[in-house]
Formats: sequence, C-alpha cells, structure tokens
Amino acid sequence: MFSTGKNYLKLIRGARILHLDSRKSIPQKPELKTLPIFQYPVSQEDTRRVYVWGLADHGAIGEATALYKDKISYLLKPKRLSFAERYKVTDIACGYGFTVYAVQSSDKNIVYGTGINTDSQLGFNEIDKKKFPDNMVFAPRPINLPLKENTTTKVIGMAAGRAHLLILTMEGLFTLGNNAYGQCGRPIIANENYEKSRVVHHIPNIKGSKITAVAAGQDHSILLTEVGEVYAFGWGADGQTGLAHYRNEHRPSLVKGDLAGQHIIKVACIADCVLALSDKGKVYGWGNSEYGQLSVKGDSCQVYIATELNLPEEIGHITDIATGGCFCMILNSAGNIYVWGYGILGLGPQVQKILKPTMIPPTLFGNNVYNRDIKVTKIYCGISQLAALTNSGDLYMWGGNKFGSLGLGHRNDQFFPLRVAVGAQVKKVACGVDHTVTLCKPFI
Amino acid sequence: MQSRKYLQLTLAILKPHVVKSPFALQKIRDLIIDNNFKVVRSRRTTISREEAELFYKEHRDRFFYNRLVSFMCSGPSDIHILAAHDAIVKWRQLMGPTKVYQAQYSAPDTIRGMFGLSDTRNATHGSDSTESAKREIAIFFKDFDLKKWHDNEEIFYNLGKLHFDPISFVHTIDRSYLEKQNEYIRE
Repeated sequence: MFSTGKNYLKLIRGARILHLDSRKSIPQKPELKTLPIFQYPVSQEDTRRVYVWGLADHGAIGEATALYKDKISYLLKPKRLSFAERYKVTDIACGYGFTVYAVQSSDKNIVYGTGINTDSQLGFNEIDKKKFPDNMVFAPRPINLPLKENTTTKVIGMAAGRAHLLILTMEGLFTLGNNAYGQCGRPIIANENYEKSRVVHHIPNIKGSKITAVAAGQDHSILLTEVGEVYAFGWGADGQTGLAHYRNEHRPSLVKGDLAGQHIIKVACIADCVLALSDKGKVYGWGNSEYGQLSVKGDSCQVYIATELNLPEEIGHITDIATGGCFCMILNSAGNIYVWGYGILGLGPQVQKILKPTMIPPTLFGNNVYNRDIKVTKIYCGISQLAALTNSGDLYMWGGNKFGSLGLGHRNDQFFPLRVAVGAQVKKVACGVDHTVTLCKPFI
Repeated sequence: MQSRKYLQLTLAILKPHVVKSPFALQKIRDLIIDNNFKVVRSRRTTISREEAELFYKEHRDRFFYNRLVSFMCSGPSDIHILAAHDAIVKWRQLMGPTKVYQAQYSAPDTIRGMFGLSDTRNATHGSDSTESAKREIAIFFKDFDLKKWHDNEEIFYNLGKLHFDPISFVHTIDRSYLEKQNEYIRE
C-alpha cells in the first residue's frame, strides 16, 4: 500500500520533469486558426498490398521483426507485409520455404526474395555475407539478374519449385537454384555445389517463339509459348515432364501426347502432377497419378504423355485448373468447383479418395439467395491446401493446415471452404509448402 | 550382476530435401536427441547411383524404384547410425508412415507428417529389421565393425558416458571414464 503510493509520487515527479524538459526543447508552434482536414489515402487502381501467413522460421514470411522480436515461429492469421508498403509489388511466387516478389522499379532490382537460399534459389547477393550468413534470408532483398544496361524490363511471370526459381521477364527467362534434375534448363553437373552460387541461366526464347508463362513442380519446370505449345524439363521419374520417358531432361522439350494441335492457355503444377488447359476449355494431364488424379487410362500410377481427361459432360467449359500433391481441382464457366483425388477435398468431414470429379456446393463460397452474383473466378492449390477466389475478392481456403498455412487462426485441418480474414480484395494467391502469400488490392 | 539390456543400432538417412532446409534439419535433429537416441556415426554425402541401387535392391521391380533412386542421388544426405533401446522400432515410430500424403493426416506429428513433401520426398529412412540395419550400415559405413562396437563401445553409449558435438552431430565416447575405471580396478 505504502510502496505503491511512493511509486505514484515518483511517477508524477518524473512526468513533471519530462514535461518541463519538453517545454524547454520544443519551440512553441504558432496557433492555427482552422484545423487541418485529414485526407484518408485513397488507393489507385494499381495499388497493391501483400498479406502473408504460415511458417516463419525459415524466413519465407519476410517479416524479420516478427521473427526476431516476437519469436513467432508461425503466423496463424494474415499479416500485412511491410515490404509491400515500401515497394510496388506486382507479382508473387512461393517455393519450399522461400518467397519471391516482383516489383515495379526504376533500377535493375525488379525481383526480391526471402527465405531458404541453400541452393542459391534466391541468387547470390553480397548483403547475405553480413546479414544472413546461414543461407536463410529473413527479409526480402534484391535478386541480381543479368539484365541489359539501362533496362526497362518487367517481370511477366514467376514460378518456384522445391529449390529452384523461374523468372520470366521481357528479356526472356532466367532460372536460378538447384539443377540436380536439369530443372534450371542447363546441363546437369555431378556434385555441383549450389551454395553461394552465382549461376543464373538465361533462356531467351523457345525456337524463336516467345515464352508467355511459366510453371514449376517441385523438381521440374514447364514453359508455355505464344503459339500455345508446352515445353518441359527437369525430373521425369513420374512422367511429369510428359516426354514419353522417365529420365531427367535439361533441354526444354515439347510435351508429347494429346497436346498436339491444341492451343494451351494455362499449365498448373505444384508437385508432380500436371494439368494443362486449352483455349477450347479442355483439360489435359500427365505425371503422378498414384491417387487417381489422372484416372484416365485404367489404374496407371504414372502417365508419361499428355492425356486428355475424360471429364463428365455436364461440367462443360473449363476456365481454371489447379493441382495439389495428390488431388486436382477445376473451375467451369458457371463458376462451379470440382475436385477429385485423395486428401481433404472440401466434400465432408473426412480424408477421402474420390475418383469422379465432384462439385463443391457454391453456397460454401458465399453464393446464396441474397448474393446471387457471387461466384468463384480463380482457383489455387498448395501440396495439401486448396484456395478459391470469388468475384467479390474474397479468399476461401480449406484442406491440410501445415503450420497454419490456411490462415484461419488455428492449426487444425479445415474440411470445408472457409473465408480467410484478409483485410483487402485478394487478387492472387501463391501457396508454398507451409506458408501462403496473397497479392491484394485495398478496399478503398 | 544384473543382466544389462543392450542397445540396438539402426541406420537413419535424412534425405536430400531435408538437408537443404535448415529449419527442418534442426527440428529433426532435436527430435533425435530429445528421444534419447545416441548418434554413433554421422556423415554427409551425396549417395552414388551404385550405392542407392544396392541399398534399395528389394524394390527393384516396383514402379517407384527409378524415382526413389534418382531422388536419393539428387543431393547430399545425412547418414547416421543411431543407438537406443529398441532403436529400429522407436525410430520408425518417430518417422511415421512411409506415404507422406497419408501420413500428414493419419500421423501429423511424426517426422514424415511434418516435413515430408511427397511419397518419395518423405524426409527420412530407417532400417526395418536388425538384418537390414546390418546390411545398410555396411553399405554406408564400410569400416564400421558391428561386433567390435558391441564389445568395446556399447557400454559407453548405454551408460551415457559420452561427449556430444552438435555441429557434426555425433556422440563420441568419454575416454576419461575408461581411465577412471582402470584406476579403480588397479586400486
């Protein structure tokens, strides 16, 4: 009782001294006649924010303060990334424990990376020696690319695998990181040391045609060209390169099979199973099919050439595709999502194996009698996570919840789609193995 | 004298994708130590194709054989000889089921449930019997004499008279204990 009184006195005395001090040091401001009107910042059409969540220990979240000060090892809820407030982020990609951001910039630093860098998948940077000596980068720092002098090049697309990175720019494709299977598109060197490597491989085009999009599995890479052809390279042990063999291939090679004559507009891959979408709304698949992801030809576990999926006719025209480690997801023009394969697919409170593409009820994505216009417009997958974006900018996630990578505020697996509390309109999602990054537009 | 329960040896491999993820590697190493395994030998090496083919020869006719072998040769692995009571069963329990896509739901707290990426990139390997432990140790530690170890060194690991080097991740025996014992006998 007495001691608290004493403390209180001390506090008052301290405050008085502080007050007197401040009066001494700060010159008095002239009195204002009218109060200033505070203008809230209104975002431009191209203003972007980035929200991140999931495992932070490997640095892929890119919030160094969260890691060092708060000792948070994972973020269960979306956190606004401070890096994206200082730089204009235009594109995102996630690999296994690392994240890359494409930014609008007047200099050569158009891509920043954070996270695991043991295979130099984030390139070599002098900063690392002092700041991040253990091959783990805890805050986004520039990735040096051998761009032309005074370049105005922009990033067109990015994709990241287990330990390699593809950056597609207006000057062509740059590949970094692990090349043990040829997934960087250069000859495999036995026992190559990838640590602190400065090697960046450049693929300007494919036989004269421009590369328009990139995709990456865990250990292989896929390119899409302007004429709608698909080229693959890297690990082929599951047939995931679609080259009619199971060997490694380092040269970008035309995928064989049913793709001939088709104009492919999108390729989706996260692990070893690949889906491709044609301009006619047809879906083709190749690679791993151990869980019936490509159950097109009997019960084959590995499909080594592109094969058209035998989808039920009522699904109709497909507009988006996504694959996880052991399941597939497609979206049709009516905005309905169909899933099949193995895992938590969003069809009920169980881990299940379903071979027939099955619709997830659209009411679970916010379409009801009061909101008849809400529909899903884009779909994404991680190895065991699933995500859907609606035309209202809402993000729904479900599936396996490794280290809180679903952003739902807990670490339990999620059995049906649930809206993630992101404080902005979500435009793009990138799923890593145990973290998630979203590119968003502010509400106002 | 009461009969002593002998330690068992098993061969553990931390596969290439784990070795390249410092976070996962540290967590798995912590699990090994926390579960009272003693690390008898350690080496980091890129497994050669010949070694991998010999190692997995019982899977030669399975569809995943080529996938498994090419994955194991894709980068450096950490190979350890672990010692513990019932080491083989204990290590396999810690690892969890082989198929990661199933283990992540059926056994989420095991090493494979947490750090496996796919059914092949399943984080770790462990011997399945004393015979295969013997065979597998002989492949990767050619100069390791199982009988000699049991005769001369097992007692140190069993009684915990060891030094631990966290950097090279290996337990070495505390020779001073031996000297003390000898002095005791001489007296």
